[in-house]
Amino acid sequence: MPLANPPAPQITRTRSAVTASNVWRAYGSGEAQVVALRDVSVQFASGAFTAIMGPSGSGKSTLMHCLAGLDTTDRGTVHIGDTALTGLGDKALTKLRRDKIGFIFQQFNLLPTLTAEENILLPASIAGVKADPEWVARIIATLDLSERLTHKPTELSGGQQQRVACARALATRPEVVFADEPTGNLDTRSSGEVLRFLRRSVDDFGQTIVMVTHDPGAAAYADRVVFLADGQIVEDLHRPTADSVIDTMRGFENRVPLAGEAR
Amino acid sequence: MLRATLKGMASRKARLVLTSLAVVLGTMFVAAAMILTATMEKSVSGVIADAFTGVDAVVTAAEDPAAAQGNTPSATLIPADVLETVRGVDGVESADGDVSGQVNAIGDDGKLVGTFAPTIGFNWNEQSTGFNEIREGRGPEADDEVIVSTLFVTESGLDIGDTVTAYSYTADRADYEIVGVFGLSGDRDSLAGETQMGFTTTTAQHLLAQGENAYMTIYVEGDASTDAIADAIGSDYRVQTGEEASEEAAQGFAAVADIMGYIFLGFGLVAVFVSVFLIINTFTIIVAQRQRELALLRAIGAGRNQVVGSVLAEAAVIGVIASILGLGLGVLLGWGLSQLVSSSVMGGLAVRLEVPPTALWALAVGIGVTVLSAIVPAVKASGVPPVAAMREAVNPPKPLRGITIAGLAVTAVGGVLVALGLTDNLGDLGLSGFLSGVGIAFVGITLLTPILSRPLVAFLGAVMSWSFSGRLGKLNAGRNPRRTAITASALMIAVALVTGIATLVSSFKQTTEELTDSNLESDLIVMGQQGANIPTFAPETLAEIKALPDVAAVGDLYGEFFGAQVDGESTPLFASEDLPTSLDIFSGTVAEGSVDDLADDGLVVNESAAEDRGVALGDTVPVTFADGTTVQLTVAAILDDALLTDGWWVAPAQIEHFTVPKPMQAYIQVADGADVDAVQEEVDTILADEPEVDVTNNAQFVEQQTAQLDTLLASVQILLALAIIIAIIGVVNTLVLSVLERTRELGLLRAIGMTRGQARRMITVESVIICLFGAVLGIAVGIGLGWTVQQALEEEGLTSFALPWSYIVGYLVAAVVVGLLAAIAPAARAAKLNVLNAIAYE
Ligand SMILES: Nc1ncnc2c1ncn2[C@@H]1O[C@H](COP(=O)(O)OP(=O)(O)O)[C@@H](O)[C@H]1O
Ligand SMILES: [Mg+2]
Repeated sequence: MPLANPPAPQITRTRSAVTASNVWRAYGSGEAQVVALRDVSVQFASGAFTAIMGPSGSGKSTLMHCLAGLDTTDRGTVHIGDTALTGLGDKALTKLRRDKIGFIFQQFNLLPTLTAEENILLPASIAGVKADPEWVARIIATLDLSERLTHKPTELSGGQQQRVACARALATRPEVVFADEPTGNLDTRSSGEVLRFLRRSVDDFGQTIVMVTHDPGAAAYADRVVFLADGQIVEDLHRPTADSVIDTMRGFENRVPLAGEAR
Repeated sequence: MLRATLKGMASRKARLVLTSLAVVLGTMFVAAAMILTATMEKSVSGVIADAFTGVDAVVTAAEDPAAAQGNTPSATLIPADVLETVRGVDGVESADGDVSGQVNAIGDDGKLVGTFAPTIGFNWNEQSTGFNEIREGRGPEADDEVIVSTLFVTESGLDIGDTVTAYSYTADRADYEIVGVFGLSGDRDSLAGETQMGFTTTTAQHLLAQGENAYMTIYVEGDASTDAIADAIGSDYRVQTGEEASEEAAQGFAAVADIMGYIFLGFGLVAVFVSVFLIINTFTIIVAQRQRELALLRAIGAGRNQVVGSVLAEAAVIGVIASILGLGLGVLLGWGLSQLVSSSVMGGLAVRLEVPPTALWALAVGIGVTVLSAIVPAVKASGVPPVAAMREAVNPPKPLRGITIAGLAVTAVGGVLVALGLTDNLGDLGLSGFLSGVGIAFVGITLLTPILSRPLVAFLGAVMSWSFSGRLGKLNAGRNPRRTAITASALMIAVALVTGIATLVSSFKQTTEELTDSNLESDLIVMGQQGANIPTFAPETLAEIKALPDVAAVGDLYGEFFGAQVDGESTPLFASEDLPTSLDIFSGTVAEGSVDDLADDGLVVNESAAEDRGVALGDTVPVTFADGTTVQLTVAAILDDALLTDGWWVAPAQIEHFTVPKPMQAYIQVADGADVDAVQEEVDTILADEPEVDVTNNAQFVEQQTAQLDTLLASVQILLALAIIIAIIGVVNTLVLSVLERTRELGLLRAIGMTRGQARRMITVESVIICLFGAVLGIAVGIGLGWTVQQALEEEGLTSFALPWSYIVGYLVAAVVVGLLAAIAPAARAAKLNVLNAIAYE
């Protein structure tokens, strides 16, 4: 079910926050080999909200993991800003994720032992630095989490948990935020809240966001939608609407059952 | 259902191994204890039986068999003509007379050979060579020759060709030439740590039979019946078959093995006790992890009983496999321990492995404990609602009220039993009451650990929260109080036991120290190490010490412990050359009468002893000495009760009737302004020719008095070492399972930037906190235990209470080390975690 269309974005950026060039990634070997990404090249502009779409198994998560330094590429290069990920060791990659990347996963975003506030400050704590308190306060206010700061994750609803995850992802002002189906487990209302916040963080704070989603409605919040199929980019849609996304999906892949994918 | 269980188990091999380890260890120690006892018993009786091979009958004097061993100078003897009579009995092929008993030999350091185990002298004859094997040289042929055992050579520093000085209670020093060295059959040095000297029969009789031509035992070969021998020699003697005598002798030695067996059984039971917690813990975690699977089973129609059955079946399979493995390892351990006991305390006895049928109990214990421990988690598993299959597993912390109340009640019951056991209210059952009380109290305290874990873990964690990963570790440790508590309990119980014992030992030390400080007015003490015999020195030596210019006063002590009787009742007697001075030095005071110029027939006794026997000042009391003399003594003074002067004192004139008419101890007061160390050196020089005694200052004296306790304390640490192994396994178990359980969390943390090092540190801190928690609790409980026992023993003279600080610090350090060790594998696992797999949704 499509969500209300977001305001039309202005695309004026030139610098790219994330760049993938000729990225290949295969799993397994021999007969059982699955090529998850085949020669993917894509750039994500700084200060833009990009959605990645595609059928299940098309390589969306793999692409995101490769871009975020969670997975390694077989061939090709990935840059976050000016930093090349290829060839970096675990330590350097960890540090890069900690300092330059924010994550929002579909679920299990929060540590159950920590309060919402501690979860928000988690990346800073791990880095042993102090997060900018004004900035954090602003995010918390925007996400309407002030009342929930001392709560443990189990005391929060799914939507609230995802909002805490959003705050956590943005708290260190990362160069890019990667979100893998952040609304996959949420009801429509909570999804809307999360997506509106992501949109705002791009518009108001100039945040760069790359989001994997199944939901054309969610994709419509983005400035641009990249379509993956069989590990290749098959379509690149700017200023999407829910309808244009659905049309595009219909256009390039008949075998994708539309509603079946959205959970 | 069973198929599903087995398949499930096969897919969880790591978990299976971890759970099994606890069971394996418990079973292993119980089995090892039983095998140790049986093996040592068999080995000892085997050796003794060997010694009696070819002996068809044994004749001893009819008296107490202990006396017949010749350990006291008053051993009853068999005159030589009885031996001749035995030889004349029909069917007797040969008969040998044996003389043996304790002798003193001076080693190359001028001191006695073998202070802790006695030196046995005996007559070397045909019979001796059956069991003893000459390794070098020959047996004694002249009366000034001796053949010594291999252990004697090691202990004395003397060897073939050397001359050794030997003497006994009744024979003066004489020199003997070592002409041979013998060992025991089976390549052993000794039977139970004793050193041996074989003399000619004449010399042995001179040393041990007051020079009489007599024997202690007659060994007979031939098919004459014991009755026939008995008829020939009369009822003054006891005639046994070789087997009877062999069994009787074996019993004495087997007692040592029994004690070792009990100690290890104790260790085993502690291990089993601790394993129970580990098993409960593991199954609880397994059930938590299988929650979805179990819920799915329930959802597709499995009944509650089937779920319980599935968990119990898993437990039973683990129990059977682990117990069999434990039994097997127990046999190995029992064999190894037997070797160790044999070489360390039994003089290298040949070990004959014996697996008694009772060892199968270890199997039953292992299987039973596993299945019983799994019941609670199994019932919990059956409570998993089918809907849990559709939901994410949330495990809300369970309230601790019930377990806490139960813990308080059980602890109280244990405490009452301990108190009753210590205060004689249970009579003969006192010790078992006390021990079971301690056991029950441990269960109670274990039930209380979850509630105690909250503040303690928070406190210990606070110490370690300086890094963020440390803080996360602390939070994880406090996350599941029950699990943390149960995991820590293994260490808690062991540390409590050793701390309790250490507390008692340090209290005893302090008591001894205070006693020395407040009751002994001397600066130097001359006395020997308390061995199997009572060390003495020459009266002339005492005179020499008294004559030293810097010595102000000397208190001296003579003693008679061999069957002197006061008014017909066996009583130790004391004497001093200068009783007034000795009383001053021992802080003794006279209540009635006077000890000055004590008459030759004077008797002095303390108040309560006098009261016990109904003796008053001026009464005349018959006193019989071991040499048979009876004298009528008159009570010349009554002493106030005092720790060091209680007892019966006779005048110096009576010393000649003592079995050993030599001083045992001298307490030296150094003149004002004189250098104590210098006087000690002078006394030491005087003592150069006194093999049995040394001079010590007060501090060294306390040291010596408590040295044996230190040895005991050190050996008790084995228990700790054992528990540490189990504790490490327990902590590893819990941590590995926790790491598995928190895979997603770890994945998340690693994804958002936690380094491998930080992940490792987080797990390590959790581990160290759990171990420290166990140690702190154990130390507290141990101190409580030690204090309770000390209070109970206050009346018996354990007046001071002192904490064993060095041990306490040691245990805390050990806990940290255990924590670090236990964390290695789980931390590595956490660090190596594949982030991608961890955050994958399916
Ligand atoms: N760790 C892996 N091992 C083997 N195959 C994998 C692994 N991760 C992904 N794949 C395969 O790669 C392809 C792309 O997967 P993924 O990126 O998760 O797709 P999407 O997120 O678009 O559903 C799929 O065929 C999937 O089975
Ligand atoms: Mg995916």
